Amino acid sequence: MLLEQNLIEKILDTALETGADFSEVFIERRNASTLQSVSGRLEKVNNSKSFGVGIRVAKDTQSVYAYTNSKNPDDLIQLTKDLSKSFNDDKLTKRQPLMELEVGKKHQVKIKPTDVDLKDKVKLMKRSYKVASEYDEVIKQVMVYLIDNQQEVLIANSEGRFVTETRVRVRLMTQAVAADKGMMQTGGSGDGSGKGYEFFEEMDIEGHAKEAAKVAKTMLYADDCPSGVMPVIINNAFGGVIFHEACGHSLEATSVAKNASVFSGKKGTKIANEIVTAIDDGTIENAWGSANYDDEGYPQRRRVLIKDGILNSYMVDKINARRMNEEPTGSSRRQNYKFSPTSRMSNTFIDNGDSTLEEIIANTKYGLFAKKMGGGSVNPGNGDFNFSVMEGYMVRDGKIAEPVKGASLVGNGAKILHKIDMIANNLKRQRGMCGSVSGSIPADVGQPSVRVQAITVGGKKKGAK
Amino acid sequence: MNIDKLFKRASEKGITDIQVFLSDKNDLNIDIFEGKVDSYVIADTSSIIIKGIYNKKMGTYVTEVLEDDIIDEIIDTIIASAKEIDSLDDAIIYEGDKEYKELTDIYNDNLFNLDVKKKIETLQKMDKYLHEYDKRVSVVETMYSENTNNVILKNTKGLDLKNKANSAYMGGQVIVKDDKDQRVGFDVLISNDFSDFDIEKISKEIVDDALASLGAKPVPSDSYEIVFSNGALATLFSAFQNIFSADAVQKNLSLLKGKLDKVVGSDLVTIVDDPFMKKSSRSRSFDDEGVATYYKELIKDGTLKTYLHNLVTAKKDGVKSTGNGFGGNVSAVNLKMESGKSSLDEMIQSMDEGVYITDVQGAHAGANAVSGEFSLQAMGYYVKDGKKARPVALITVAGNFLEMLKDITMVGNDGKMSYYGVTTPSIKVKSMPVSGS
Repeated sequence: MLLEQNLIEKILDTALETGADFSEVFIERRNASTLQSVSGRLEKVNNSKSFGVGIRVAKDTQSVYAYTNSKNPDDLIQLTKDLSKSFNDDKLTKRQPLMELEVGKKHQVKIKPTDVDLKDKVKLMKRSYKVASEYDEVIKQVMVYLIDNQQEVLIANSEGRFVTETRVRVRLMTQAVAADKGMMQTGGSGDGSGKGYEFFEEMDIEGHAKEAAKVAKTMLYADDCPSGVMPVIINNAFGGVIFHEACGHSLEATSVAKNASVFSGKKGTKIANEIVTAIDDGTIENAWGSANYDDEGYPQRRRVLIKDGILNSYMVDKINARRMNEEPTGSSRRQNYKFSPTSRMSNTFIDNGDSTLEEIIANTKYGLFAKKMGGGSVNPGNGDFNFSVMEGYMVRDGKIAEPVKGASLVGNGAKILHKIDMIANNLKRQRGMCGSVSGSIPADVGQPSVRVQAITVGGKKKGAK
Repeated sequence: MNIDKLFKRASEKGITDIQVFLSDKNDLNIDIFEGKVDSYVIADTSSIIIKGIYNKKMGTYVTEVLEDDIIDEIIDTIIASAKEIDSLDDAIIYEGDKEYKELTDIYNDNLFNLDVKKKIETLQKMDKYLHEYDKRVSVVETMYSENTNNVILKNTKGLDLKNKANSAYMGGQVIVKDDKDQRVGFDVLISNDFSDFDIEKISKEIVDDALASLGAKPVPSDSYEIVFSNGALATLFSAFQNIFSADAVQKNLSLLKGKLDKVVGSDLVTIVDDPFMKKSSRSRSFDDEGVATYYKELIKDGTLKTYLHNLVTAKKDGVKSTGNGFGGNVSAVNLKMESGKSSLDEMIQSMDEGVYITDVQGAHAGANAVSGEFSLQAMGYYVKDGKKARPVALITVAGNFLEMLKDITMVGNDGKMSYYGVTTPSIKVKSMPVSGS
């Protein structure tokens, strides 16, 4: 066990001595490795080992948090006492005895990162380098990253919850730089999983390497994207970042509970075109954003966020559940012990529709086809979002035309959901890292190809048809 | 961890030189939401970064587990890594410089010792002030964050250096609402002196800005003259700071490659790295490799003077390290664009028609540090005849960072350190494409 049970119990008890009604201990041990190769040569090997304890104490909706990487019982009890000074109430809450330790059984891995020889890891990277660097003479630089980590967590709280699980993630990414005539563009592609190294037996490593190089070359000779308001077809897989940024964050209790979201108080009302159904599912077997338990120790779940355009569920953590008078939805996550947990997305996607991508393109007279999306961000206060297009093409008269670079999409989350007017049947998820108040966490985004009737496209070229 | 024991075991196993970088951190974060403590976080953490040379290659290990019984695991991992590394880079552990500047104003004991109650009270006062300032203020959050960082660097070449710094920021976020629109206002002040936190002044600015932006709409897509506020420029600037890295230059990933001693910006542009900046917790007298830091001009009156180097990139270029080896890479300590002579008002007044941009967002995705291109969501004001005519939002401003540096026509006298740790004034730029309605 990561910490003696009687010490855990003592921390939970000490935390309640000044009138708090909830205490929680989160213990984490993590082994991580990041390898970076540049021009085919292994340049960086960063191994790290972390250990830490996070202690949370709450009364009603007020919660306080402390963390340390000390294992020393005296340090831990003193830190808990410092923390519980925030409360001062005669009414004491009695701690429930810890249940028998529950061990997460889903999302098992076959080959743990710590069991893989560094040589074999390097071989995977070389395969990727070879394909990307040989793709075309304009490819001047190729960087390959191989990241793995194994996180062991133990979560106990004053309500008797007592769970543990080990989470493994692996990811291989390739970035290619194309340069010609003083111009430079980059392209990236990769994949990852909540499996162990067995994942790389199924991953199309060469395919992703080629894709990275292809995007870099295509964008190198691409014209600047015209700016203006136009229909945009957002492709499947990472295109789902639109929903993640534009709507997902605003459905997290973090902003909903504080009335800081455009979707606060909208449950049961129509917030999207009726062809839109959106899901956040933390139970998908070995998926990038899955786990047995959330970081408060509640089982992960499948949440239907929007059903046929109607807002069906928020993502709710324990403390915000108290604010909202709702039940927690198993959505509480954190980067590591240095963060107090809060409601976050897991694997979030728009569900399949009835159209095909070909039909959508054929039905678009003029617009942008955002084939590959970059990242983006949103202001949850008003739902304004922006994201960049890594690989884009103009659509003219129902056909894909010339490639364009430097496009970004700007809009408003609440409004765009009503403007999705066609959804294809090619749902696919893709890996991402999501940053928010409780740190950077692995999360899948996803969707079928969708068309947004009208959205502001930012680009360097003056609006032209 | 017993460092002597680590050094001894490393030597026994064939590691020629080894270095440890110990970091002890204390953090305090307080968030007040609608007058009540919403988040209160205290932290006490330690970590060690260990770098060792084996067969002329460098292996690295980072650990938060500090017990002596992992010493062998650390050394074995470093050796295993070094055996696989086939990079042509030199592995260097530094013997040290003659002199290291003594920095006395980067740690303030009073800040650390000031009672938490006083910090919370100040935030609550700010919360009250923000609420009472205008009835359209609907949601208020105020925050305080303080960190103390104590680092020690020791190696087998005899270096033994220490640096202790602390810093804090205090700020607020409000949502303002009228019957048609809702907007967000946010700002923070950064200092290690609590008396610098003028909460009335910053609160006024936060709410005034948010209120002025109510009803913001896009402008028609076109090219406009642009004024960037100091804060907006900081966001943009921080996204492109890697272009000064010699590592990026050597890997063909910087726009500044081949541009040393060439004009890369308007003659109004001077950009420096000031590692001794007062009241910055980033300030340091030595970098993570033990090289003494110093004040340097990167761009002087528009001409590129130097890249930033660590030991490895310096050796490749046949120059001396500039003391910018941080986090296993190259970066500036306190990057600063020098202020100019114009006031913000003068810059706005000088535009017949243009856009004054107060905030840009999504720089982590919409700015490409390799190509220099950016297309970012922005908000601010449409300026007509030298006056702010109406608020603007949901537009994007696009350009190329180097072209923008060349197109700077006025530089403000209002340099300010941002949340991102870069210090920038506001600037005026020749026309840039804006995408809106």
